[in-house]
Amino acid sequence: MTANLTENMAKKISIENLDFFYGETKALKAIDLPLYSNQVTAFIGPSGCGKSTLLRVLNRMYDLYPKQRAEGKVLLDGENILDAKVDINLLRSRVGMVFQKPTPFPMSIYENIAFGIRLYEKLSKSELDMRVEDALKGAALWGEVKDKLGTSGLSLSGGQQQRLCIARTVAIQPEVILLDEPASALDPISTAKIEELIDELKQKYTIAIVTHNMQQAARVSQYTAFMYLGQLIEYDATPRIFTSPQQKQTQDYITGRFG
Amino acid sequence: MAEHTVQSFDHELETLGRSIAEMGGIAEKMLADSMDALARVDTEMARRVVAMDPRLDALQRQIEEQAILTLALRQPMALDLREIIAAIRVSGDLERVGDLAKNIGKRTLKIAGEARIPRAMVGLRHMNDLAAIQLKDVLDAYAHRDEARARAVWLRDGELDALEDSVFRDLLTFMMEDPRNISFCTHLLFCSKNIERVGDHATNIAETVVYLVTGNTLPLERPKGLGSSLPLTA
Repeated sequence: MTANLTENMAKKISIENLDFFYGETKALKAIDLPLYSNQVTAFIGPSGCGKSTLLRVLNRMYDLYPKQRAEGKVLLDGENILDAKVDINLLRSRVGMVFQKPTPFPMSIYENIAFGIRLYEKLSKSELDMRVEDALKGAALWGEVKDKLGTSGLSLSGGQQQRLCIARTVAIQPEVILLDEPASALDPISTAKIEELIDELKQKYTIAIVTHNMQQAARVSQYTAFMYLGQLIEYDATPRIFTSPQQKQTQDYITGRFG
Repeated sequence: MAEHTVQSFDHELETLGRSIAEMGGIAEKMLADSMDALARVDTEMARRVVAMDPRLDALQRQIEEQAILTLALRQPMALDLREIIAAIRVSGDLERVGDLAKNIGKRTLKIAGEARIPRAMVGLRHMNDLAAIQLKDVLDAYAHRDEARARAVWLRDGELDALEDSVFRDLLTFMMEDPRNISFCTHLLFCSKNIERVGDHATNIAETVVYLVTGNTLPLERPKGLGSSLPLTA
């Protein structure tokens, strides 16, 4: 069943034989993995397994650090984003990222969204207003902030701040959204809102999420990759991974039998 | 299988397993005793079979509550999840086996005053023996997580269906021979149906064991006996 499902789906990103190094240390070993369009792919595994590293490769976040390098291929719509010729700014506008801790800029709610848009586009005030509203609606935050767009983004609750960061990511109209533990610092209600949001976002975007919360991975994703010690141990449709994984290591990890 | 990091989880699963084993033992004893009671029309024994049922019901309820609690507390995944679902299902099937044996016990009390036809018991005894083997095998398969053995039980259910068919024909013949046999034979007809359904529950458990071990489900259609030879007018 899984095979039939995947045959008909477009690969937004195709990771091929990817190695990653922090200096001398090899943090990812020969990763092969697809990310399907308009699907949520979850990365699970114990701390240090390489799942966040993998996420950071997908928009070349690692470029900010001198001794880190990736080898292999990461094809975004067929184009290798690891290629030196790739325009990193353009890449990051296509592949947005949201981090574990909400990181609103110390500026108004409005400016938090508008700031990013202005980096890439020149828009009239009314066009910009529209884009800010769309982004906030897309992140399910508009109703809560529409009357106080001028107040500081830092005045919002943790859950609202995280949705503001998602709005900021959505505002520049990316194609892929990377979520690194987006709900781990949030209370259950905010977490539920983020999960609901992820489900809506996948209509428009391709999503990769790293999470330590196994139930969350099971709830929000269609595909799950289990990683351990820099290797991809198992990748399959999410229901399969969580009811009958094929690898013993996967089973041990998700049932809480790991070391 | 390695132990859980959280050890109390292991204890919960062990407790579930022990309770299922106890249920299995009681269900087997009830089934065997109900047949002995019926064959000898031993009302004392029949009453003892009926009296065993509440223990089975209590165990099933206990397993269910424990399983629900574990689901809520642990949110089990993969094998653990299948383990818990299997415990719920198997305990349900065993509880039904107990009900069916109890029903045979009750019918034994009813036919105590009737004229008996010893020949009519032969086929029933045969069915009961087969059902007992099915039940024993499937409980062993569950205890040892033995997929092959579970599949064998699943495939053998057709034999029990075929036997029921032949018992049905025999009983019909006795009734046609002498209308005074009708009451007695009707009770036996229900008993044969009960035994056949014990086989169905063994088959259910077999399906559960395969799911538990592999994560895969068996085909929806259970293996049937010799086609549709059982008269629909029954």
